[in-house]
Formats: sequence, structure tokens, C-alpha cells
Amino acid sequence: MKARRRRLSVLFGGVFLALLAALASRAAPRTDAPVAEAPPNGRVASGAVTEGEPWSGEGVAGGAGGVAIEDEGGHPGAAAAGGESREDDPGDPREAQTGGWMARVDAFFAKWLVEPLGAVLLFDFGTERLLGTKVPLIVLWLLAGALFFTLRMGFINIRAFWHAIRLTKGDYDDPDEPGEVTHFQALSSALSATVGLGNIAGVAIAVASGGPGATFWLILVGFLGMSSKFAECTLGQVYRKVAPDGTVSGGPMHYLKNGLAERGWPRAGMILGVLFAVLCVGGSISGGCAFQVGQSMGLVRDLVPWLQGREWIYGLAMSVVVGIVIIGGIRRIAATAEKIVPLMCVVYVGGALFIILSNYDMILPAFGAIFREAFTPDAAYGGFLGVMVIGITRAVFSNEAGIGSASIAHAAARTDEPVSEGIVALLEPFIDTVVVCTITSLVIIITGVYVNPEYARFVQDNDGAALTAAAFRTVIPAFDWILGVAVVLFAYSTMISWSYYGERCWTYLFGPRASFSYKVFFLCFVMLGSIVTASNILEFANMMILAMAFPNILGAVILSGKIRRVLDDYWSRYKGGQIELRRKTS
Amino acid sequence: MPWLAEKTVVVPIDFSDDAFAALSTAREVAHESTALHVLHVLPILEPAEPGIMWHTVDDAGRRQHATEALGEELAKRGFGELTVAIRFGDPGHEIADYAEEVKAALVVVSSHGRSSWQRLLIGSVADRVVRLARCPVLLIRR
Repeated sequence: MKARRRRLSVLFGGVFLALLAALASRAAPRTDAPVAEAPPNGRVASGAVTEGEPWSGEGVAGGAGGVAIEDEGGHPGAAAAGGESREDDPGDPREAQTGGWMARVDAFFAKWLVEPLGAVLLFDFGTERLLGTKVPLIVLWLLAGALFFTLRMGFINIRAFWHAIRLTKGDYDDPDEPGEVTHFQALSSALSATVGLGNIAGVAIAVASGGPGATFWLILVGFLGMSSKFAECTLGQVYRKVAPDGTVSGGPMHYLKNGLAERGWPRAGMILGVLFAVLCVGGSISGGCAFQVGQSMGLVRDLVPWLQGREWIYGLAMSVVVGIVIIGGIRRIAATAEKIVPLMCVVYVGGALFIILSNYDMILPAFGAIFREAFTPDAAYGGFLGVMVIGITRAVFSNEAGIGSASIAHAAARTDEPVSEGIVALLEPFIDTVVVCTITSLVIIITGVYVNPEYARFVQDNDGAALTAAAFRTVIPAFDWILGVAVVLFAYSTMISWSYYGERCWTYLFGPRASFSYKVFFLCFVMLGSIVTASNILEFANMMILAMAFPNILGAVILSGKIRRVLDDYWSRYKGGQIELRRKTS
Repeated sequence: MPWLAEKTVVVPIDFSDDAFAALSTAREVAHESTALHVLHVLPILEPAEPGIMWHTVDDAGRRQHATEALGEELAKRGFGELTVAIRFGDPGHEIADYAEEVKAALVVVSSHGRSSWQRLLIGSVADRVVRLARCPVLLIRR
């Protein structure tokens, strides 16, 4: 009976992929279509953002998120992200091939979903009229949350930093405590979803559109985000459920539901928990999936021009390699990719440091420009507030602090001290934003590609990945291919991680039996990521990632008293030497 | 001779109070010579689950944990020694498969009373056991 079920699953999977391929080949342009007809940079409704609309570009979740409406002219306010939806994109031949149905569905999304959601998320309190720069609600919300947690937790991001490193090293690990993985392993799993395209492409866009000064705000928000991450991951541990078989499940949907019920607001907790889960599913199929395929394909297609007009082949290949892991259960591939990603990170950071050090005389002037232009920026970059908003937004998109997704992975850590995992988690924005994003930023500034007329096209199109590749090329000509491989691997590991986050939320809503339907749904979006040009459909799903911050930060603020109590209890025991050290260090 | 004498009865347990109430009912209707089998079905973990990714969680360990937890819970509720089985997969199918394997004369299963929208979307374990099992099923409604 089991064998029959397995055979049926394989058969179903095969038929499903064949259908997708058939649909895709019909949707994609013919292979003899002139290359010149492809959209600028071969981008597929992704990554190209308008100046002044930084929330809509590359880089949510370090590669998750950020599917945006293309605006070839780069004119502020011309994109749908600001609430003005685009009905179609006559410049893309693939859209013409997909026929009118996609345009009609896209128009429906624009009118009934993107505009209302954008009106809330991107509400600017009239700042555009008064100050000349949009300061969207969602950016204020995330920044206010990070500031609140930094103050409420007594600058935990600074005072617990060294302890976080020792916890991650395993100095306090106890194999008999409940949970699945060590602190280090939980941190690595969470990082695999955040480190990625946002660090490569998103930062380049920040510098290109906000100037060197944006880096200052990026670093500052990285520091503040450490406190948000601490708060949400501590809550994830406090309210996690340990199953009879020793496995654990946690995350915002659990702490919102159970935490608020504990406060006497069970109905509010249930609503916020369900809202988070719905938004997380939406985020997983957009930023955690379609965006990854679209973005990585942009760079791969530059390296392999044969893919021009055959984008569906890349989408199908990605569907197969993701599908054999999440449906086929071939765990070794995902595990291997997860192991290679840290190596690629090291290679990427190593290459960047090589560029920085080979221009060592430019390091101090670069930092000088970062600090100087953070407060006295060029008006061309949108003035003081414009630069600040760009930096803040890119940082938030890159490290996910306040979004809540990472606490799903951190809940699995093996510990009976919830605060200890929260402290480990605060290293995540530090590594992702303060270290990796700053390094990318320095490469862009030192090589000067963001002001070089030769690369103006990338800046105009906000093609961050291409701009970073150009920066690397100025010193290491062969780095294109390494970057291409890194981008594909980052995209792949991010998709696997986000499929897990989405699946957890889907089964939270519909029960474990519904897991299979989510995976099929997810694979559809892997494929669609390579062929869909319907910007508003993807934009709507992308907004869902940002919207995850509303229930998450609201719930975490309400529960901040509890977080502070468990923190104070832990910290007094830690300072009193009562937290048992398992491994002596020099 | 009672119908259930020297026969096997399977009771799936998901650690809910309803499931243990179904076990009480099974014990009441069973004969002293009836073999009561308690079955717990564990889900197959996602490949991206941190414990799977890092090879720190495996089926043998999960089986051991679940067996111990079930033994403790049964003792706490005063059920004494029973045959305990742990399976992995979809609960509906696994319960039906196990009942067939041990040639069960009866499966006693509780119905959790899911909301109508959940039932519409995912059905229920009890529904599937009734549909798939090749022996009589006693459904305990709560």
C-alpha cells in the first residue's frame, strides 16, 4: 500500500512538472525571438525599482522578497509600489505571449489588492508633500519596533554581544536539553534564509540610489535590528511546543496565539496568529520563492545568453531541484546546498575583502564619505530623509528583523533557556547587515561603480546584482562566474528555508495533512518566478512579507514585559555565574 | 464468548484527552483476553527542518522519545501495560495499515470535532480511518 502511494506521488509529481513545462513553453517567447526584445537586463518583473521607492526592490530577507514593478525610466512615483498600479508592461514579449488572461488577473490584483494594501503599508503621513521624501508607515513601524526593543531590553544588542559569541561557540551547549539542534546550527539555518541576494544586490541599490551615506543608516539599523531579532526569537523559544517525539515547533504564530491568550486576549492572539501565518505563506511564495528565481536568473542569463527566451528552462530546472527535496524527500541535496552556502559566503566576503584591501588607501575616505553623507547628503539622492529611508529599508529587507520568520528556525535550538537563543539570534542582523552588507557597500564605494557612467544603465535600472558584479570585475575579472554560482546557491538555499517557514504556517492553518498541497503550490511559484511578468500579482505577494511585521511587532511589544522578565532572570543568573559553562575556553 | 475475546483492538493516540477517553471506552468494551494496541503516528519531517538538515534528529530517536512519552502518559492515566506502536506518515493511512497488519478486529478512534472549514479543507483522521480500514471502526464522538 505504501509503495503504491509512493509510486502515485512520483507519478503525480512527474505529470505536474510536465504540465508546468508545457504551460511555460507556451507562455515563453519562441526561442528564435530576437534577443533585443528582451526587457532591460533580461529582468523579469523583479529587482528593478524606482528611485525613491526602495521598499519595493531587491533584498527582502537577504534575497527573499522585493519583486517590484519595472520602471525603465526610473522615475520616482511611476511604479505600482507606491500604490499606483501598473496595468501592463508592453515592453516585455513574454507578457504578450501569455495573453490577455494574465493582464486581466494582474489588473484585478492591482485594483483590489495591491492598491489597498499599498495604501496602508506605504502610507506616508504626507511626508512626501511636506518633506519631499516618502517615509512609509512600514519603515517607521519597523524602525520604531527596533528602537523600542533596544531601549526596553536595555541595549541587549551591545551588552550581550560577547555572550552571544560564546553561546554560539557552544560553550554552554547541553545535549540533554530539549530541542533539535545546537545554537550554532540554529543560527546557521536562520542565516541561510537571510544571507543572499539582499546582501549582494540590495546593498548595491542602496548605495546607487542613496549614495554612500545610506550605508551609515544601514549599519545603524542593523545594530537596532539585533534587538528586534532578540525579542522575537526569545518569544519563539518561550512559546514553542515540544512534541512527544522530541521535535519542536515554534514561531510567531505560536507566540502570538499562546502569549496573548496568557495575557487574557485569546481572540486577539488567535487573529494575529492566523494573520501572521497567512502573510508568511504569501511571503514564502513571493520573496522566498518567485523573487529568488527571477533574481538569480537575471545574473545567470547574463552569463549564459542561451537562456534568453528560454527562461522557463531555468524555472523548470529550479522546480525539479527544489521539488526533489521538498516533495521527493531527498534530503542530501538540500543538506549539501546548506553546507556549500557558508563556503560561498566565505568566498564572497574573501573576494570583497581582497578588493577592499587592494585599495587600502581608499578605505578611510570611503568611511569618511559614509559618515559625512549620512547627515549632509547630496540633494540628488533625495536629501537627508531620502538617504535615511533608503538605508533603513535596505537593512530591514536584508536582515528580516521584525518580520518574525527567523524565530521559526531559532525555536528548534536545543536549550531550556529561551533567552540564550534570543541572544544567539541577535548575531544574525550583525553578520548579515553590519558585516556582509557593509563589505558589499565598501566594494561599491571604493570601486566607484555607482558613479561610473559606464555602469549608469545598472544604476538607472536598479540592477543591483549586475552593479556588484561590475564592481568585482574591476579588480577580479573572473569573479562573474563565482558570483553567478553563489547567487544560484543563495537563491536555492533561501527557497528551501522559506518553503519550510511557509509549510509551518500552512500546516498551522490547515493541519499537517495539508502539507503536500502547500509544496505543490510552492513549486508552481518557483516555475512562475521564471515566466510571470504580471507585476501586481507578485507585488501583492511581496507586500505580504512586509506586512508580517505588523502582527509580529505588535504582539512582541505587548509581550515585551514577559521578555524583559525572562531576560532579567537569565542575566542575573549569568552574571552570578549560575549558568552552567559546559566547555572551558581560554 | 464475547466477540472481542482473543482479538486485537487498535486505538490511535495523539496525546489528546479525547484520544485517551477513546482508549477508556476500548478497554470497557474489550474482553480481558483482548489485546489492546496503542498506536501513535508521527509526521514525516520536512527536509528543511533544522534537525533533519543537521542530522541531529532521526526516526530511531523520535521513535524512542515518543515510546517513552506514551508509556509515561499511559502510566499516569492508569492504563498499565499495553502494546505500544509508533509509525511515521499520514495518520489515516498508517492507522488503517497497522490495523491490517495486526489483523485487528476493531479500531476505536475519537473524533475531534474540527470546525466545518477545516473539515472541508483537510478532512479528519477519523473520516479517513473509516474509509480506509478493512475492519469495523468504533467512532467516539466528543
